[in-house]
Amino acid sequence: MKKQFALALTLAAAFGCMTMQTQASEKTSVSVIAAQYGNNTAAWWADFEKDFEADNPDIDLVVEVVSWNDIYTKVNTLLQNDQAPDVLNIDTFADYYADDLLLPAKDYVSEETYAKYYEAFLGQSEIDGTVWAVPDLASVRTMFYNKDLLEEAGVEVPATWDELKEACKALKDFYGDEVYPWGIDMTTDEGQAAFAYYTWNNGGGFVDENGDWALNSDANVEAVEFEMSLYNEGYTNSDPANQTRYDLQDLFGQGKLAMMIGPNGIPTYLSDGGYEINYGIASIPSNTGDSIAMGVMDRFMCFDNGYSEEELAAVTTFFDYFFDDERYAAWVKMEDFLPATSTGAEAIAAMDESYANWIDILGTCQFYPTAKTEWIDVKQGSIDVEQQALLGEDVRTLLDALQEEVAG
Amino acid sequence: MSMRPPPEARSVFRDAPVSYPAHGICRCALLLCFFCSPPGCSCFSGDGPMQKKKKSAKSWRKALTPYVWLLPSFTLMTVMVLLPILTVFYRSFQKFSKAGKIKGFIGADNFSQVLHSAKFSLVLRNTLVWTVLVVLISTILGIIIGMVLNSEFKGRKIARAIVVFPWATSLIIQASVWKFIINTDHGALNALLMKLGLTKSAVNFTSSPEAWFAWEIWVGIFVTVPFVAFCVLSGLQSIDSGYYEAAAIDGGGFWQQTFYITLPLIRPSLTVSTVLNIIYVFNSFPIIWAMTKGDPASRTDTLVTYLYKLAFINGENGQAAAVSVISFLILCVVSAAYLAISSGGGDES
Repeated sequence: MKKQFALALTLAAAFGCMTMQTQASEKTSVSVIAAQYGNNTAAWWADFEKDFEADNPDIDLVVEVVSWNDIYTKVNTLLQNDQAPDVLNIDTFADYYADDLLLPAKDYVSEETYAKYYEAFLGQSEIDGTVWAVPDLASVRTMFYNKDLLEEAGVEVPATWDELKEACKALKDFYGDEVYPWGIDMTTDEGQAAFAYYTWNNGGGFVDENGDWALNSDANVEAVEFEMSLYNEGYTNSDPANQTRYDLQDLFGQGKLAMMIGPNGIPTYLSDGGYEINYGIASIPSNTGDSIAMGVMDRFMCFDNGYSEEELAAVTTFFDYFFDDERYAAWVKMEDFLPATSTGAEAIAAMDESYANWIDILGTCQFYPTAKTEWIDVKQGSIDVEQQALLGEDVRTLLDALQEEVAG
Repeated sequence: MSMRPPPEARSVFRDAPVSYPAHGICRCALLLCFFCSPPGCSCFSGDGPMQKKKKSAKSWRKALTPYVWLLPSFTLMTVMVLLPILTVFYRSFQKFSKAGKIKGFIGADNFSQVLHSAKFSLVLRNTLVWTVLVVLISTILGIIIGMVLNSEFKGRKIARAIVVFPWATSLIIQASVWKFIINTDHGALNALLMKLGLTKSAVNFTSSPEAWFAWEIWVGIFVTVPFVAFCVLSGLQSIDSGYYEAAAIDGGGFWQQTFYITLPLIRPSLTVSTVLNIIYVFNSFPIIWAMTKGDPASRTDTLVTYLYKLAFINGENGQAAAVSVISFLILCVVSAAYLAISSGGGDES
């Protein structure tokens, strides 16, 4: 009995000390959940946290880095329990906006920092004239080709769909089963990207010029049918519904795949993987004479947790600190991404010339319509359409059904 | 337990969720099986009525003792099994926003949406094919292997150790290894066939969704057989050799001994292994997820991978909960029916 009493006393004392300590510090705390982009992300954020707290002693910054596989589950669980983080770094924002959980970007980003972002990027997070998130980084997708394989078979780099078919045929005739001419990934992981490459480069896409869903347009039907014909005529990798972009990047690195569409991070992927191939970069083949590259952009957003003035000021300080040009350039470069701020782009171009080309392409990119709340259904729906078409279903029927489901 | 319940596999597997609704359910189905089991195996038949008449404090304490001992298990079951199940039932009647916030009661809407989607019947059929084929074939193979391992031969111990290997490895590793073996471009099987000169160029072993599904079923069998084999083996070792001697004297051959002595006597072990396998195979997530993710277009999805996608890729938490509830009910009915049939037959004989 005495022992138990003593234990209870100790516990009470310890607890008391803890509460006293937190009261004594009176720091403003900012919690951040950040996506793990690669192997360096967690270490980078740990350093960031240390530097930030050293420079801002009255702010307690807590950063949690979460892998892409878990981050949606993690965030949704937190939201269900009303424990939203202050700042979230993730790809989409529309679902959180739909639940009325976010603050407008201008409420928490200083004017100085706000002016740094590319206008077009901010537009990607705009709903009804208000910007609800700010971009953290971007990447660009374009075509990669194996110079040696094309040269040996006497094939020119294709720029149009007709040229692409001809190039594929010539490569297949020359190499037989040794080399896949063209890579396609229609997997659950990222099949919507393939949908975008072909529909955008045929004058179609997810939405029309008014921003309304236009999934069953004639241009889209033709584009998906073209995509399927590449597979059906034997020009692609053997199992597009199952082989992810990483599988394709490996085949490309091994010299078993002649051409593929992929992100600007592929050079690093190839050199990290020990692949030594002679590759070139070109525009995605287009059927309209106007090639469209794909941009992918991730975001920061701030949840509306009923902040006091000091708390909101602390969030603003966080963003000013993060988007400081030098620091931001290092962040973007660390995992081989592209900057979302013009001043950051200048800083990076000064550090590394090879970025200049990519930053140019970034200016001409199209993005997924992630500001629309139905995007998640459209994304999975477009993948499903591709996979069913692969099994021989009629493309127009499938796209009509998807359009009906999403916008009907 | 060859198709181990998802928890261990999940911890290894990055893609798998933390709050995975089906796993508590499989345990509960198991629990239900015990409740449905025939009388005669009651755990509480210890106290006679005599002691209960004395109402002294001592006897009260004595009467309470078993329940105190049961309390930790009971608490654990309530918190880890019962509450999650009730939560899933509750959630299946709620409307969810895409961000996962509960938006209120919507009756049976989640169920009607699930039941009316074209995918659901396809997935249900897949689940049926998957469960029946994996359980049936691995039971047959398990019996044969169990009987072989029970007979005396040199190196029997090593053979037993080898048989247990597939079962001792995590499912996610098994599935990934098999996916590598059958890979078209750099798979081990193609390399072997080409080295042996049996094929000239690489064969695509997974050219259709059906082919993928067949491979997944094969992996399911491969990891399930050891469990059945060892259940059978334990049953076989408890059979008195006198039965076989008597049968031999009466002129009974191998097949007669197998069908009239061995199989009836190992039936209790087979009942246990079959019920457990039905539950584990039905709920198995890692094999299919690691090999195809249910692609293309749900052709290789089972209910578990389907509900995972609904919850964590499509943001349809309510529908995912509804599928989970449906799976739970199916499992309860199937397991209870199987137990009733197999134990009913046992009483007659």
